[in-house]
Formats: sequence, structure tokens, C-alpha cells
Amino acid sequence: MDRYLDTFGRWFLTPLLLALVSFIFYFILRKAGLRQRQATGFALITPWIVGFLIFTAYPLIYSLYLSFTEYSLFGEPRWVGLDNYIRLFTQSVEFWPSVRLTLLYAALTLPIGVTGALLMAILLNNKIKGIGIYRTIYYLPAILPEVAVALLWRWMFNSESGLLNYVLKPLFSLFGVDKPNWFGDPDYVLPAFIIMSVWGIFGTNTVIFLAGLQGIPKNLYEAAEIDGAGPIRKFWHITIPQLSPIIFLQVIMGMISALQIFTVAMFVRPTSAAGKFMNQLVYEKGFTQLHMGEASAIAWVLFILILILTLLVFRSSPAWVHYESEVKR
Amino acid sequence: MKKKLSQAFVLLLVFTLVLAACSSGGTGSFGGVESSGIEAKSEGNGEKTTIRLATWAGAEEAKELQAILDELNAKSDTYEIVQDSNPAEYDTRLLTQLSGESGPDLFWVSAQRAAQLSARGAMLDITDRLSSSDHIAGDLSDYYPSSLEPFKVGEKIYGLPWLQQPVMLYVNKDLFDKAGLKYPDDSWTWETFMDAARKLTVDQNGKHPGEEGFDANNIKQWGFTINGWPPVQMFIWQNGGEVISPDFSSSPIDTPEAMEAFKFYSELINSPVTPSQQTIRDRGFDAMYKKQEVAMFMGGAADSLDWDVDFNSQAFPVPAGPDGKRVTFTDILGMGINAKTKHPDAAFEALLDLTDAIHHWKIMPPRKSLAELETLKELQPKKAHSLQAIIDSMEFGIAYRYFENYPDWDNIFWTQLMDPIVNAGADPEKLVPKVKSQLDEVLRNYTRK
Repeated sequence: MDRYLDTFGRWFLTPLLLALVSFIFYFILRKAGLRQRQATGFALITPWIVGFLIFTAYPLIYSLYLSFTEYSLFGEPRWVGLDNYIRLFTQSVEFWPSVRLTLLYAALTLPIGVTGALLMAILLNNKIKGIGIYRTIYYLPAILPEVAVALLWRWMFNSESGLLNYVLKPLFSLFGVDKPNWFGDPDYVLPAFIIMSVWGIFGTNTVIFLAGLQGIPKNLYEAAEIDGAGPIRKFWHITIPQLSPIIFLQVIMGMISALQIFTVAMFVRPTSAAGKFMNQLVYEKGFTQLHMGEASAIAWVLFILILILTLLVFRSSPAWVHYESEVKR
Repeated sequence: MKKKLSQAFVLLLVFTLVLAACSSGGTGSFGGVESSGIEAKSEGNGEKTTIRLATWAGAEEAKELQAILDELNAKSDTYEIVQDSNPAEYDTRLLTQLSGESGPDLFWVSAQRAAQLSARGAMLDITDRLSSSDHIAGDLSDYYPSSLEPFKVGEKIYGLPWLQQPVMLYVNKDLFDKAGLKYPDDSWTWETFMDAARKLTVDQNGKHPGEEGFDANNIKQWGFTINGWPPVQMFIWQNGGEVISPDFSSSPIDTPEAMEAFKFYSELINSPVTPSQQTIRDRGFDAMYKKQEVAMFMGGAADSLDWDVDFNSQAFPVPAGPDGKRVTFTDILGMGINAKTKHPDAAFEALLDLTDAIHHWKIMPPRKSLAELETLKELQPKKAHSLQAIIDSMEFGIAYRYFENYPDWDNIFWTQLMDPIVNAGADPEKLVPKVKSQLDEVLRNYTRK
């Protein structure tokens, strides 16, 4: 009976506490001059704010603090200042190869993924019978659990008994090339990862592009046809500019997620000669070597990297992204 | 007034709903906190304390362990051990649990982790308890000294080993008979070993390496197999070298003794007496021995390769170094008590009883008193024919020189030196000088404090 009271107490008190906090929040906002509607709105999202502060904002700030310390999960963090960062940039044998590998992976996977998905979306934009089925099939990879897919890929890429090498055997003998050892040969690891990631994000990108394609007003194409534009011109001068906001979104999201690759790499376990991705390095430094400070430092470097690249893409956007509401200068 | 009341009601409803949805996912973790909290209250009444034991045992092993635990729990009136087995991602889970407040009381731990955790105060210091205990498993003089090393920091000890597995040379006796070779004995050195490996490597036309017409692309049986295992350290030790100096100040991998061992290792990898790394990956490392595609295999003493095969197989001591020095690598596994446990006394009692029980279950117990042929024959009848060799090997078995930041050192040793040697055919002579300075750096940085 004792333990039930304990649980019940916890389950009852916490929502009560949250309700109290939001009430207080509401009154503070009202005192600050907000109208009743706005104050209610903010008060009602208090659970989310509290959750965000406790589980996202606080760990974020704490990890920044940890990156300046030596911390092994046991005992207190020991302040070392910029030591972790300096060691990372100058002495670490694995850091720069990891940055290079991660950037290379993102740089190769993104164009292929986005371009391929765009072309596929155009194909799927036809009103032929059963098009719904094709669209569903292409979207399926997006709903499969990442870990299960990684394990399956490991099997498929097996150089002796895997499906991929079996199917591609005639191609290999045609070019006189040896069966590639996908995860064992450092040269083939990156292509293997690119193949896996393109397969994975294809569906989601395609569906989004499809939605975008269907939002392009038909009269634009008609006007172009009257002026004598062929399919290529129509594609280049109407489709692409109209889709550019969506392409922009896909590039940003794709880049952010590609640079953070982790699950696939951990379960597929390619040979260590190919290098490690940055997130893998974070995990290893943190949990295998118990250097949480160094791991946090790598994570923050990755964050700054992603931030800089994202800002660069944003910066370049006026040159190629056309919004409907824009007024031509 | 009515509006304010309904607003309040809506708020309360929303929050309760939100929390009900969230909590249902979180009951698992909350359950752990509760049980240890509630049980602590009942300790005083003479009721049995629940001791949580974290293990990495898979389904089969967990069943066998549970039988042992049931026996122990029935005999004891102070503790009740409850098993919590997590074969997947055991290390990460253990670390997170130990760093929090709801960790297990007892936990299985590998030698490497034990060295890390003892040095960081995550494991309970049991030095005094051991010296004042008269339990048979608490007598440190009965343990092989090398088995206690990973659990010691200076003169203090933080855990007990329940297994010390020496590396043995498993031999396919049928293939040896076919090649007309004598089984390995105490006189075997690297040379005799290589010689035997060559005689046991046959290509499709029955030719051996070195013979006219030997076709290295068409080998149907190899003498030996190697893929980073067995560890090169074993060969370095056999030649009188070290990879980490006893005072942890440097990594003497560039000494002539060590270089000779690296060269021997590299020779083994690249010679036709062992299959290519690709073949090993595709066909399975020990699977090839079981399928009789490989005649000799270096495996742990606890492996079933000497009885769970369909040919005559036996484990022998590994060959000695060129000067006759006998050394083998031993893998050590043990158990520790969580430094934050709320029941240190009960946990300590459980530790001793369980350690002793596992000594009678697994092979090899790291205790000299249990290294009796007849005793072991009763416990491990299937391995009876290999037992004498295993017992002998315990005399010259040592483990890595673990220290607080051993994984840092090991990471560089493997990714910068051994992986290129094994998987990319790199030349040890070129790599060793470069990697030595990196390894020395690790030792300099981390063992200073």
C-alpha cells in the first residue's frame, strides 16, 4: 500500500504543481499588461516551457559548461578551460579526419538526395492509374525504424552473401572489378553510407516536393507553352523557381540531419580505418573513454559547424530562392 | 466567476492528461527508484534486503545464473539477489545507472571497466571488509595476483574477479594426425608453431606453402587464423617486451623485442598459412575452425571449441616465445559493489557468496585452491581433456596493464596501429615510431594525477 501512495502522490502532485506554476505565470503576465487571451495562451503552454527548460535548455547550457571541464560521470567536473578544445584541434588524431568524413558525407549525400527526390516527384506527379500506390511505396522507407533498417543494410551489404553484391555481380564482371567489401574497405564505406541515406530520405523528400509541385499554378505552364517553351525550359524557368522555397527547406533540413549521422554508423560498424563520424566520436569519447568534457566539446564544435553552414545557405538564398510575396527589385 | 472556474478546471484536466500520457512511458525508470527506496525502510525488521545484480547474461546464461541465485537466496537470511540482465549496450546502461541514484547494488564488470570505475570512485572500497572477513572467497592470497590487478588502485581493492580465462591453442587433432604432426607440447616456440602451420596449410592440389606449384589463391585448409585476435600484446610479452611500462610512463613498443613481435604478427597476417581478412569476415572467425577449414585456433579457455565440434579437438598451452618464455593473455571478468549502494553490508555478503558460486560454475576460476584437476573435472566434464593445459596456463597468464584511462590508450593502439597492420597490410616498422609518440602522450596526460 505504501508504494502505491508514493506513486499516486507523485503522479498527482506533479500536475498540481504545474497547474500552480501556470496560474502564477498567468497572473504575472496579466500584471505585466498582457490581455486575458494572450496571458491564457502563454499560461497553457507552461508544461511545454517547463519541459523545454528542464530537458533541453538546461542540458544544453550544462553541456557547454562541461565542455570546459574534465568530467567522467563520477565525481565532480574539473575545470580545464579551453584545454579540451585546444587538444581537439591540435593533438587529437581522430578529430580532423572525422570532420572531413562528416562534411564529405553531407556534401555528397545532399545533392544526390535532393536532386533524385525532385526528379522522382516530377515522375510521381502524373495522374496515371495507381499513382497513389507508387507514392505510398516510395514513402515507406521513412516510416521504418532506423535501427532495424541499419541491421538489414549490414546484411545486404555483406560482400560475400549480401543481396547487393549478388545482384550487381554481372556488372562487376563486366567492368572486371572485384566485389567491393562495402563496410570493410575504407574506400567503399562512404559510398555505402550515401546509398543508405539516399534510400532513407528519398521518400520524405519526394512527398514534400510532390506537394510543392502540385501547388504550382497551371497557368504559368500554359503561358510558357504559348510562348513556345519546351519541357526543359519550363522545368528550369518555372518549376525550379517555384519550388525553390521547398528546395531551400530540404537543403537546410537535409544538411542538418546528414551532419548528425549516428544511428546507422553505430549499428553498421564500418571498419575503423574509414574514420568515424563526429557524433560517433562524441559517443565514444563520452561513454567508452569517460571523457564527458571532451565529448561535449566535440558536440559543440559540431553545433557551431552546422550553424555556420546553415547561415551560409541562408545568406545565399536571395540569389536563388523566389518567394511569391517578393517584389522584384 | 464561472469563466474563471471553468478555466481552472480546463487547466487541471489538461495537465493531468499530459502527465498521464508522459508517465506511462516513464514508469519503468521510476519503478527502480521506488523499490530500493521502499526496501531500505524494511531492512531494520530483519527482513531480507533486496540486492539488485546487473549482468550482461544472455537468455541461456541468465537461466543458469538464476538457478545459482535461487540456491544462494534460499541459503541466506540476509539478502535476496535479484537479477537484472541486459546483454545489449550493457556498458552504457551500467555507467548511466551508476552515475545516477538508482543504480544496481552489485554488477558484473569487465577488467577494463573495473580499472576505470575503481579509479573514479564508482565502486565500493572493500579492502577493509575483505581483510576482516573469513569467507573463503575473501582470501586474497588464494587468487592469482594478475586477476586482482584490474580491481586494485594502489593498495586498495574495489571488486573481485570471478573468471580469468587464459588464451589456449585449440588444435584439430584429426588434421594433425593426417599431416603426421605431433601435438603441441612445452617445447613449442614461434618457429615450431609456424612450421606446423605451414605443414597444415594445403591448397587444392595438396601442396604446402614453399613447395613448387603452391597456389596461394586456391587454399582449401589453413594452418591458423588471425584477425587482430589473439592480441599482439601476447606475442610481445612472449618475446620479453612490453606495451605499457610498469610505471605507466611510456609505451615501449619500439624496443627490439616488441618490434620482432610486431613483425611476427604482421608475417602471420600476410602469410598464406592464415586466411585473408575478407575470408575471415565472410566465413566467420571461429566458424572456420569448427568447419575444419582452419587447423589451429587461439581462443579463450572457456570456449567450447574443444568439445562442441565434430572432430577431435583439444586445447593446449600457447607456444612460447623464441627464448622459451611462456606467457599467455588472460581475460578477466569480475563483480563490484556500487559505491552509492544503500546496503553495503548485505551487498558485500552477497558479493562473496556469489563470487564463490560463479567460481564453481565458470571456467577458469581465478583461485589457486580451485585449480585442482579432479575438482575441475567434476565441474567441467566436457573439457576434461583440456583441463590440465588450462590449469598450467594459469601460471603464466597475465592481463593488460589496465589503468584509469586505458580506453584512450587502447583506442589509439587499435585505430592507429593494429587496424592498419591487420586490415591494410601496413608495415609495423613505419607505423610504430609515429604511434609510439601518440601513446606516450596519452600516458603522460592522464596518469600524471
